[in-house]
Amino acid sequence: MIQHLDVGLIVLDKEYKVNVWNSFMENHSGYTPNDVIGKNLFEVFKNIPESWFKRKSESVFLLNNRAFTTWEQRPYLFKFKNYRPITGSAAFMYQDITLIPLTSVDGTVNHIGVIIYDVTDIAVNKLGLKVANEELGILSRTDMLTKLYNRGYWEERLLHEFSLHKRNKQAVSLVMFDIDHFKKVNDTYGHQAGDEVIRVTSKLLIDCKRETDIAGRYGGEEFAVILLDSTAQNALLFTERLRKRIEESRVSVGSDSIKFTVSLGISDLTEKTQDYEEWLKQSDMALYRAKESGRNQSVIYDVNLNGAIK
Amino acid sequence: MTTSVLICDDSSLARKQMARSLPSDWDVDVSFAENGLLGLKALKEGKGEILFLDLNMPEMDGYEVLNAIRENELSTLVVVVSGDIQPEAYQRVISMGALDFVKKPVDARQIQDIFHKYGIYAKPTIDNPVKSREADFEVKYEDGYQEIANVAMGRAADLLARLLNVFVILPIPNVNMFENSELRMALRDIADNDSVSGVCQGFIGSGIAGEALLIFNDSSFEDIAELIKYDGKIDDSVQLELLMDISSILIGACLKGIADQLDVNFSQGHPVVIDRHVKVNDLLNQNVSQWKQTLAIEIAYKIENKRINCELLLLFTEDSIPSLNQRISYIVD
Repeated sequence: MIQHLDVGLIVLDKEYKVNVWNSFMENHSGYTPNDVIGKNLFEVFKNIPESWFKRKSESVFLLNNRAFTTWEQRPYLFKFKNYRPITGSAAFMYQDITLIPLTSVDGTVNHIGVIIYDVTDIAVNKLGLKVANEELGILSRTDMLTKLYNRGYWEERLLHEFSLHKRNKQAVSLVMFDIDHFKKVNDTYGHQAGDEVIRVTSKLLIDCKRETDIAGRYGGEEFAVILLDSTAQNALLFTERLRKRIEESRVSVGSDSIKFTVSLGISDLTEKTQDYEEWLKQSDMALYRAKESGRNQSVIYDVNLNGAIK
Repeated sequence: MTTSVLICDDSSLARKQMARSLPSDWDVDVSFAENGLLGLKALKEGKGEILFLDLNMPEMDGYEVLNAIRENELSTLVVVVSGDIQPEAYQRVISMGALDFVKKPVDARQIQDIFHKYGIYAKPTIDNPVKSREADFEVKYEDGYQEIANVAMGRAADLLARLLNVFVILPIPNVNMFENSELRMALRDIADNDSVSGVCQGFIGSGIAGEALLIFNDSSFEDIAELIKYDGKIDDSVQLELLMDISSILIGACLKGIADQLDVNFSQGHPVVIDRHVKVNDLLNQNVSQWKQTLAIEIAYKIENKRINCELLLLFTEDSIPSLNQRISYIVD
């Protein structure tokens, strides 16, 4: 009966010599009891991580206490074929291992039992779930049209950078910008043309920004970028570069070639800024001033703007 | 001449077990104290020529009582009775002036041996063992759970102490009935918190079933790696190794300690690692209708001078409680 249990059973003595080797072990490994009994486990199976396995076993001998290892620590102890070699997706058998102390009559532990469970299905499912969750995580942060961060996630990052600045005082700037007369593009050429303008703008934004800058789609035609390690003057170089690239670009719709521009507002984070909402508001004010002053330009926030805009 | 004996222990079960272990034909006047502070007061009133002292108690623990006895130069013979069986605990109390150390749960034979050793009371012959003294007070089940957990966690701590070569600071176990929603909240905290890791493992036997949950503060890993002389980068896989090693010991020894005392045998399932990828709530949601309450024993282990914190939660299903209570009543009566 025990021979036919569909789990691996091995009994080892203190020298790691095999005393018991059941049919599961025989069938999966190809070694018969005759081949292995009385031999040192590590001499027969050279691929077993010897020091790791000994460390686990020695605590079982010493403390007279069971030990467990999961496939997440090591996918397998013995490299066996997947039990479903034809339809299964895993190349090998994932294994959970239990080590149990076998107490002799005088109460000492001279042998341990090793039980090997096939957990391939569980492992494959869990690994699949992990990949799916990671993809979900990316999806939940991404704006589908532009592939930029969506507003929710971008604001989380803004709050994070704001808090970080309170500690490290590194220069950091915030740029808000939007597409000039976007409604007119939509009304004249249709929503698909509008979407294409937004897509092209996002593409140019990604081209112009550095890897570390955090760009998001803030609203319909409104974008926001956090520029790390940048003063407002550094940010101005970036916004002017972006502004010119956008001004030079064209979006083709049928026979029409659409020209469009953006207005940009910049504010750097200072000691006086109370919270991240205030920081946002300052960039917004600068953006508003850029619009008022004739669009297609960058404006840096300063305190005098506060009075100018009601 | 009547000898005054003071039994100082926060557990009513432990007090009862201790009182019953005293020889019944011995002329003694037994008093009880529920914590160190009350114990010290009773000593000052001259109620304890012999003091049986527990170590883990609220208000004032056993070590503090030993200190106070020395400072106040009280004359009493102290026998420490404790579930904390770490070699270090033994050495500490002896160096602090205790006469001897008895492992919990106590039995009459151990106590007789001690009395004989120090000539406190003449030991009757083995053929004619004394009848145990009856202590007639009620023991609440919660006290029973707590004392059993106390002894079991002491055994687990002893193994951990021997493996890591440290002194484990033992808490007083907390026994509570958790509502489903409370447990859910506690588990959600673990799942949402990136800085803790957990392992849960099921157990079942003799009509008692439940899960052990070990919650580990991630900041502990560095110190543990240092203790087991693991050098190298502590990445996720090393953390997992350490987590599994520690949980095998703490959960395994604790369950074995409980099973031994209740005279049952538990089968243990394979441990499951709880991390950000396991939605604890999903595990629980499927179980909503099956139970409303669970009996929870909480044990918070700490290691002296190290930033190692871990919490062991033993959760018993509602339908295990009758079996548990029955087993405990065997011990009490």
